[in-house]
Amino acid sequence: MLVLLFKNFIRSRGTKIGLLFLFLICFISLLIGKQFQEKQAKNVQEAILYQKEHIAKNVNFHQDDLGLLLYYLKFSLVNKSFPVNSLAIGQRDVNPSIQTVTIRGLEGQKYDAELNNPNNLLLGNIDFSFVLIYLFPLLIIAFSYNLISEEKESGTWKIVVTQSQNTFLYILKLFYIRILSLTLLLTIVLAIAAFLLNIPLNISFLTFYGISVLYLLFWFAICFFLVSLQMNSNFNAVILLTTWLFLIIILPALINTYIVNKYPIPEALELTVKQRNAYHEKWDMDKQETLDKFYTHYPQFKNYLLPDKEFSWLWYYAMQQMGDDESAKESRDLESKLEQRNQSSQQITQFIPTLHAQMQLNEIARANLGNQLLFLKETKQFHEKLRLHFYPKIFDDEAVNKQKWDNFKVETFTDKSKINLKKTFLPLVVFNFILLFLGWLNFRRKNI
Amino acid sequence: MSLHNEILIAKHLNKAIFKNRAVPIIIIFIGILLLYATFSGWKNYTNQKETSEKYQHESREDWLNNPDKNPHRMAHYGNFAFRKSTSLSMFEYGMEPFFGNAIFLEAHKQNSANFSEAGFSSSMMRFGEISIAMVLQILFPLLIFFIGFNAIATERENGTLKLLLSQGVSWKQILLGKTLGIASVIMILFIPIILVLLLVWMLLQNFTVSADEILKMMLFILFHFIYLLFFCVIAVLISAASKTSKNALVSLIGIWLLFTIILPRTTQSIGAYVYQAPSKIEFNSAIEKDILKQGDSHNPNDLHYKAIKDSLLSVYKVDSVQKLPFNYSGFIMTEGEKISSTIYNKHLDTLLQVYAKQNSFSKAVSFINPYIAIKNISMGLSNTDYDSYINFQKQAETYRYDMAQKMNALQIKYISNKKQNPTDTPQTINKNYWADVQEFQYEPKDVFTILKNELLSIISIALWIGILLFLIKIAYKNLKAI
Repeated sequence: MLVLLFKNFIRSRGTKIGLLFLFLICFISLLIGKQFQEKQAKNVQEAILYQKEHIAKNVNFHQDDLGLLLYYLKFSLVNKSFPVNSLAIGQRDVNPSIQTVTIRGLEGQKYDAELNNPNNLLLGNIDFSFVLIYLFPLLIIAFSYNLISEEKESGTWKIVVTQSQNTFLYILKLFYIRILSLTLLLTIVLAIAAFLLNIPLNISFLTFYGISVLYLLFWFAICFFLVSLQMNSNFNAVILLTTWLFLIIILPALINTYIVNKYPIPEALELTVKQRNAYHEKWDMDKQETLDKFYTHYPQFKNYLLPDKEFSWLWYYAMQQMGDDESAKESRDLESKLEQRNQSSQQITQFIPTLHAQMQLNEIARANLGNQLLFLKETKQFHEKLRLHFYPKIFDDEAVNKQKWDNFKVETFTDKSKINLKKTFLPLVVFNFILLFLGWLNFRRKNI
Repeated sequence: MSLHNEILIAKHLNKAIFKNRAVPIIIIFIGILLLYATFSGWKNYTNQKETSEKYQHESREDWLNNPDKNPHRMAHYGNFAFRKSTSLSMFEYGMEPFFGNAIFLEAHKQNSANFSEAGFSSSMMRFGEISIAMVLQILFPLLIFFIGFNAIATERENGTLKLLLSQGVSWKQILLGKTLGIASVIMILFIPIILVLLLVWMLLQNFTVSADEILKMMLFILFHFIYLLFFCVIAVLISAASKTSKNALVSLIGIWLLFTIILPRTTQSIGAYVYQAPSKIEFNSAIEKDILKQGDSHNPNDLHYKAIKDSLLSVYKVDSVQKLPFNYSGFIMTEGEKISSTIYNKHLDTLLQVYAKQNSFSKAVSFINPYIAIKNISMGLSNTDYDSYINFQKQAETYRYDMAQKMNALQIKYISNKKQNPTDTPQTINKNYWADVQEFQYEPKDVFTILKNELLSIISIALWIGILLFLIKIAYKNLKAI
């Protein structure tokens, strides 16, 4: 029976075209992921090479002035991208994965944007997560919207009822076949992905797979529920597509608009204007005053006294430091605003399975706002480390050639946040269970 | 020519559509959505405008309030260019969420435009935002398809189509009548919302709008009106060509998905896949290398600058730069700024060409996809398209260059050339000179430039009108009653 049903399903031309089309576009998404991965790797290689050349060149130019040299020298920090990132590019195309900073004021450099074609960003990537979130449900809907209703409309339903003892079991079998085909397709695609993109079979990849399967089941559960209402095919198609539209276009857009309007970010501009003034005004102020503030921040440098010269690097870097110190409040405000945005999006998305799935995939791929915030924090530490290393050397006016320049390689930040399995899976499981239960109730009540 | 029969058919369809209890609910829902979109667009626009004006003003005051100092210090103090939204961007966000809103403009350095909305958002941003344009361009076509798919197919199924034709009603009348019928339902939503938009739009600008803005608004309304009519025609044609209403529905849904979801993303992705743009590091290091080849003004031993120095010395017949009658380092910086910005602009042009190639795919597809055509036109009109952004960046760069060179000129003219002792107080010029640098004013493109830029999309819309008229003609010759 099951085999016959399967043959019947797979023989239909629509099914074949649908599955083939989906497989093809999955494959394209993997190629795009592959290109993304190669580009990320190439960027890192370039950053490493560039930093080496850049340091060597500038060390050569400014051999007798360490303070001046460090005015120019740039150091890079890489936000490590994991192979699974190629399946869900997330915000990694918007935000730079490499930060390059000098030891001057950080706030003026921290938010430097990536070079981007805004058209690419607007229309988005065809990464695997797009295919999964947007297109798989469409095929699921196409495969299941007319179950029963079509047979009723063509009059074959009566035959089914007389021939099989348990029509509910028959319906389950119809769903089983469809679930099996699409899960199989998903598994094949992800297996190819693991091979093509060198994704290790670790916990994050398994979680990725788990979310994907649960997400497909969610759409089957919706279809199951709708089929249980036993309306006509046209009605089912319209309702299912409207549901798709709601969950994938309208609700996300509404929530997004809500969050953008609820948490506007004037702090960003406030911060830039403030840090510029805080640094520049010091040129026209009493030098000792600036240094006193600097000593308060770094008591360990108290012994470096202001030289009796119009210009000194001690004073210069103290001024730069003030740009950061005096805009610290604005910087914290911006940070906490971003945290708020991140948190409230996470809270809301729990209740919308499509958004939840996408956000979780991006989180596994370390391509969400959370990752970006961690990276910014890490950039701050990276910058502080460089400062603390070079400040005393500049103040002592150490020789440029005495420094171990080979030690200043490109550094890498690895986002080690753990995946919370309960938070990841629970919303999808709950939604699936509710829909299946309601569908089952309907079938029982209507006594098909 | 009397349209009596057409109007009768239209009225009949209008009634039939409203017999479906779901339709008023959907219309009310979309109405609410539109109101929310208007409200949030309005809020977003005023927020953006207030913030950018506030900081533009504040940073200008800061600039003017700088005390007497060396003009080169001022060149490093720099200015900001804040992007201002135009009034139509209330209704069409376009690429705005992905644009950087502020560029810091200083000497020697072309900074990136920072603080885009997208950079500060979770990946939810990529699902899009609710705006008037989004509702009109994406949701309305689907609504049209939902109410129009059975316009003719159902009549064929019940056999009333045969009756109609046998009574002497022509196919032409049926097609036209049905199109009008669907359009009349849509206009119940479209006309009030346009009135609300106009009101909000005028209100926000205190009823003082320029002719340019009025023209843009009118075009925005006109093109959307034509666009929606397209979908009414498509719905009727497909419904007429389909054997059953189910087939019509499935085909129409397929067309909608293809036009609004699949094609736009796919074509842009192909463009980005085929033409790879360089990364920021690659871009910057290429510029740095080229500048070094030309000469580095910060490198004391650079050949290019040594040649300049030698020629100056021989022209003025002096033996050291300190004896020159003008400020030497100001002169060198002028030269350096010129070289570096020429090289930067050359690289930027190459980069923009890559972007243009990436975009060429989706531009070409506007010929087969009216959604892309209308999107491009409406983004152009609301100044939220790619060209507007590049335009903003270029205006900012021109301003930056002029500012830096003005400061260099002041240095050449007013700063003494004498070498200073380490203990001397720095040389300054009067703060009144700061006002010589005008405030940055971003000028959005005018409507004719936009129409010229979007010529391709406009041709595509015209072409679509032609194609649909042609299809209608073919249809009423070939369609069958059964």
